[in-house]
Amino acid sequence: MLDFPHTQSAHCESGVAANLLTHQGLTISEAMAFGLGGGLFFGYFPFIRINGLPLVTYRAAAGNILRQIASIDGVSMVEKKFRNQDEAMAELDQALAASIPVGLQTGVFWLPYFPKALRFHFNAHNLVVYGKEGNEYLISDPVFPTPVRCPATDLARARFASGALAPKGKMYYLTRVPAELKLKPHIVQGIRFVCKMMLASPFPLIGVKGIRFLAKRLGKWPQRLGPEQADLHLGHVVRMQEEIGTGGGGFRFMYAAFLQESAAAMQEPRLQECAASLTAAGDTWREFAAMAARLCKKRGRPEDSYPAMVACLNRCAAMEEKVFTELRQWTRQQP
Amino acid sequence: MDQLQQELLELICTTCNLPDVDLATIGPDDPLIGPDSPLGTDSLDALEIAVTIQKEYGVRMDSENTSRIVLQSVARLADYIKANR
Repeated sequence: MLDFPHTQSAHCESGVAANLLTHQGLTISEAMAFGLGGGLFFGYFPFIRINGLPLVTYRAAAGNILRQIASIDGVSMVEKKFRNQDEAMAELDQALAASIPVGLQTGVFWLPYFPKALRFHFNAHNLVVYGKEGNEYLISDPVFPTPVRCPATDLARARFASGALAPKGKMYYLTRVPAELKLKPHIVQGIRFVCKMMLASPFPLIGVKGIRFLAKRLGKWPQRLGPEQADLHLGHVVRMQEEIGTGGGGFRFMYAAFLQESAAAMQEPRLQECAASLTAAGDTWREFAAMAARLCKKRGRPEDSYPAMVACLNRCAAMEEKVFTELRQWTRQQP
Repeated sequence: MDQLQQELLELICTTCNLPDVDLATIGPDDPLIGPDSPLGTDSLDALEIAVTIQKEYGVRMDSENTSRIVLQSVARLADYIKANR
């Protein structure tokens, strides 16, 4: 059986990327995988509904981190989707027989090792299958502290879950990695990608503009939606920010950890300063979330209100605008 | 329950507005968050507790996993604060 290095992570995609690379001998942290993959983002899309609530996202689109990692010089990744369930499972077994750990996109709802309370309909959950014993697969699911097992029928169902972001049996594995990863150019490239998304999108729903747009809309929720629906929307924003594998502060703490690690790797104090500023932005996001949670729970303090939350979000936008402007300037000075 | 654990439990009850909880019935290893918690707290409460702990003790829980592990019980939380402040 394969000796697969399982490490628990906050976020499944960056965790799987880090674990797959580490297995190939390129030991990188989850934060580094997240940063190299250009994982940070902000988008508020009121016209896209998840369980009847507007889509708010703090990370790049599902699959983007793995795509970016696969585009690194010297890295090759095979990716396949299937129409036929039996064919998909047979191909997985073949790869495992060849001692290849395989990444899978799955639907969380069908994975029986998840506690019932956490089994919701999310179809872009990544995990690594690294072995099979009898009718059970051995799985490194990065959001769990230790490896888990899953019966074949359940895994097949999870691979072919239907609905938004249906995985269609998607499997992927690394076939080649460089002997050594020259981090510097990839750090610069990853930061450049995120700066573009956060500062230069022409769409007002994305990046810093998107944070301000959310602030503006959120301030009107009590009048537009009524108090009950407004609280429901607020709870949804908080959950997307602080739960769902974000590492807290809507991935801002994780990206700050990447900047800190990059600062050390490149001996670059400006990145260290940006890491500290982004951590402060993450704290402000948390302040907003804590205020929102108090209002949702009907135990608001005298200073808690929708206008106060709007002000808090606008502070987040200003802080992030400053950080990413500084980072963009830094990338422009890099060769 | 030691002094810090007692202090933390009182802070949690104040933060989460739980005036009816009988503190004497809570053990240091009882779950703090989730359906098994005698406090009846959920993930939104956990977030508020994390923010309050950072403010009061200067100790950061900056990842979801850290919060999940640290907020397993008042004993774990006290140990984490002692080790990190």
